Amino acid sequence: MIKAENLWKSFPMRRDRPGLKEFVVNAPKFLKDNGHRFWALKGVSLAVEKGGSLGVIGRNGAGKSTLLSLLLGVARPTTGHIEVNGKRTPLLELGAGFHPDLTGLENIVINGVLLGYTEAEVRDRMESIVAFSELGEFISMPIRTYSSGMQMRLAFSIAVHTDPEILLIDEILAVGDESFQRKSGQALLELIKGGVTTVYVSHGMEAVKKICDRAIWLEQGEIRSEGEAGLVVEEYLKAQGQA
Amino acid sequence: MQISKKTRQQLDLLKLLVKKETAVRYKRTYLGFLWSLLNPLLTALVLFIAFNVFMRFQIENFALFLLAALFPWTWFASSVTISTNALTGNVSLIKKVIFPKHFLLLATIIAQLVNFVFSLPVLIVLVFFYGGVPSLNWLIGIPVLIMVQFVVIYGLALMISVANVYFRDLEYIVGVLISLLFWMTPIIYPLEAVPAEARVLLAMNPVTYLMQAWRDLFFSNTLNWQYILVSGITAAVVLLAGLLIFRKLERKLDEVL
Repeated sequence: MIKAENLWKSFPMRRDRPGLKEFVVNAPKFLKDNGHRFWALKGVSLAVEKGGSLGVIGRNGAGKSTLLSLLLGVARPTTGHIEVNGKRTPLLELGAGFHPDLTGLENIVINGVLLGYTEAEVRDRMESIVAFSELGEFISMPIRTYSSGMQMRLAFSIAVHTDPEILLIDEILAVGDESFQRKSGQALLELIKGGVTTVYVSHGMEAVKKICDRAIWLEQGEIRSEGEAGLVVEEYLKAQGQA
Repeated sequence: MQISKKTRQQLDLLKLLVKKETAVRYKRTYLGFLWSLLNPLLTALVLFIAFNVFMRFQIENFALFLLAALFPWTWFASSVTISTNALTGNVSLIKKVIFPKHFLLLATIIAQLVNFVFSLPVLIVLVFFYGGVPSLNWLIGIPVLIMVQFVVIYGLALMISVANVYFRDLEYIVGVLISLLFWMTPIIYPLEAVPAEARVLLAMNPVTYLMQAWRDLFFSNTLNWQYILVSGITAAVVLLAGLLIFRKLERKLDEVL
């Protein structure tokens, strides 16, 4: 279950680092950081019940990724309140925390533990993760030798094997080649339809319609429209066509 | 002992981060982990030649004298230097994964501690070589001093790593300060050699008495409780300041990284 009320989030807007002289002269001002701030989210509220799936659509810079990072908890809202019940699994930047000099197997362990498992639990799932990734012998090579598609496959395989309760997805359905894409899409769909609470950020309107039951359309940090996924997508596409 | 799954997971995470830190650092070198020992030894060799052979410092057993302070110093200096970038160098992790960020610092310090522990046998061999004997003092002194030093490093790492996110010049300043601090710490010279007027300067250095205590332990086989106490209090103050600063600045990390 996810519930967010009246989320506001701002970032400091510095045109550039101050020069040394400027910094010394105006040190109190810079340290206080009361300069211009950019509001990425302006009063967004949403609720996803357990097992529900919410699509988040909107143009670049509308605040979609900021919203996800707030829901994930890696960033705090400037004001507002968030309540999330359940283990959150991010599918944001696949492979955040991968180290190029470590092997696929070593990276699986670190990544799995970062996602909230004990080492033993990760090792229990090792076999199915490796099998799903279809990496074969490469699994015991340093991942700097992988193609980017292979790295994505590994990261995706770890993420879907963590029994997520809440999935936070940022535009990642396009993983690897076509056959792996179909397989990963299928695995994801099974999770989502199988009762995992999902927030899904995407520019792929067809995918949003297929995966989500509800959707919100963000524009400049505000909710422009919300409701049944298909309807919101139609409305959004229509508005884009006119623009 | 029964520990909760959450604790287990956190311990595993810390262990893996330490392992990664050690494994990755020398992964693509031929000598590998050996470098962590070779590094301070080669530094010691240079200092030994410069001050013992060229400048003829009148200090008995100069090799032991030097290493007894240089090994712990290396743990201190490398931990502080590496932790400066512990946050700025792990942006994707911090912005995309929920985990305790201070683990990045702890992992750095523990990995360097492991190097230090592996250098202890060298010291012990040297003590034997100069006719010393292992003593009970070591059993008490080594763990106590490691603890004190861990606390002071952790406190500094907390402040510096998080401040470096806001003020990236710090990375370069720390480099200069560490080499300055090296000469302001009784490592190649004894504390007693410093004139009384100048001791004030050394007292401001948070590791002066700590390094002197390490040397007293290995070189003179004494536990200098006075120095240990002063170092301990300094460490506690530094840690407290570090925790306060880290806690305050950590909240907005996502906005500036």
